[in-house]
Amino acid sequence: MEKPAGRFEGKIVMITGAGSGIGAGCASRFLSEGARVALIDREEEGLAQLTSAFPAEQVHAVAADCTDASAIAAFHRSATERFGPIDILVNNVGQSARERAGEFHRSDEDVWRFVLEVSLITAMRFSRLVAPKMRERGGRILNMSSDAAFAGDAGLVDYATAKMGIIGFTRSLARELAPFGVTVNAVAPGAIRTRAHDRVPAAVIDRIRQQTPAGFVGEPADVAAAICFLASDEARFITGQTLLIDGGRWMI
Amino acid sequence: MTGLFSHRRIFVSGAGNGIGLACVRRFIDAGASVACFDRDAEALDRLGTHFEKGKLSLSHGDVTSSDDVRRAMAKGADALGGLDGVVNAAGIDLLRNLEDTSDEEWRGIFAVNLDGPMRVCRAALPYLRTAGGGTIVNISSGAGLMPLKHRTAYSASKAGLQMFSKALAMEAADFGVRVNAICPGAVETGLLRSSIDAAPDPQQAYEAVRARYALARIAEPDEIAAAVLWLSSPESSYVTGVALAVDGGRTFH
Repeated sequence: MEKPAGRFEGKIVMITGAGSGIGAGCASRFLSEGARVALIDREEEGLAQLTSAFPAEQVHAVAADCTDASAIAAFHRSATERFGPIDILVNNVGQSARERAGEFHRSDEDVWRFVLEVSLITAMRFSRLVAPKMRERGGRILNMSSDAAFAGDAGLVDYATAKMGIIGFTRSLARELAPFGVTVNAVAPGAIRTRAHDRVPAAVIDRIRQQTPAGFVGEPADVAAAICFLASDEARFITGQTLLIDGGRWMI
Repeated sequence: MTGLFSHRRIFVSGAGNGIGLACVRRFIDAGASVACFDRDAEALDRLGTHFEKGKLSLSHGDVTSSDDVRRAMAKGADALGGLDGVVNAAGIDLLRNLEDTSDEEWRGIFAVNLDGPMRVCRAALPYLRTAGGGTIVNISSGAGLMPLKHRTAYSASKAGLQMFSKALAMEAADFGVRVNAICPGAVETGLLRSSIDAAPDPQQAYEAVRARYALARIAEPDEIAAAVLWLSSPESSYVTGVALAVDGGRTFH
């Protein structure tokens, strides 16, 4: 299949949590379509792989913790000094703390705070960093929700709350930024083959596959394709929406 | 998107005007061949003069007739060598308070907006199965997600079309067919123009429509067609059973 070539030539894209999984999938896709990308991830290794696979002048990668407000402000400053203002922000970073997940009545407030911080507040912080310039020159903000927002999985109260929070944030910010030519949308992936996914027990994956009409688990590239569509001129009339990419598991 | 649809064969209902016409244009530009179905014979003639003959099959008929739909589907599949995708763009509007809505008007809206896509999908599925899979995109409406005043029949028919799409998505997934709906807001088409012109104060009516949308404007048919092509392309291969609003921010679905 021929991919749309050079669709993001001249565009500056900022992607959080870009070192692996969906974030890395988005980074590769934007890079292969001509964008220059500013990438942040806690882990250096994944970023190094992306940096070595593409020309150095296309990539600005910083290893830092996305929950550290001063570190992300410094990242935003260095990225815009090098490339110019951000055209497209992909708020991808997020974590379910599944290994620490448990029943709500025994849950730990520190875990809630961690999950809300990394999966919701980071999106708000990064958006606030890029919003002033986007109000002057337009732009695109893409937020990562999850089908967990709709699924009501037991033991994932904090994550579901954060991911439903992303949807409220998306809608409200979409209305606020619409007059300035900025669209704000979310995608809600279902089961996607990532590192986090690899830690889920095989029996759970089998059950999810059985519940998925498409009959297979998606790839990061499936989500990247949707993100790139929503970030493109093709989707300029779409704003405030949440697009499920889940092989038909929820259909809501 | 040039070449993205090379060798793909798409059936479009309501192909003569508005969103359907914009889809035909985009599909042809992207390399597809298109079977066009419309009850507007003049519009079909115009299509025939605008596009390369080998890329088009034209069928005159009405989505309210199962025979017309079946015949058009067979003719299109025959001319193009099979079918890989369907777009249901035929639809009609009715601005009427309920007390003044006759049974005939109510049934007329459902016959086109809900029964029509059902007939087209039913006739198309054997061809899509033969092709080893495919895509269906149904043009619903933002009014099917969030109601509009004095449009009980229209809103209900479009909401019905969304659930039809989702229920069919469950069933069609078994043979590799994805089914999605698009929910446009107001679009610059003849359909919108006639609704606005029918209002007591057309200018005020236009402003009222525009003001509903966060982006504060009415869409071009091509902006809806862009989403139709994405949902018809391999780029959306893990997306099925969704209702995607392309409405400049009204429904926030």
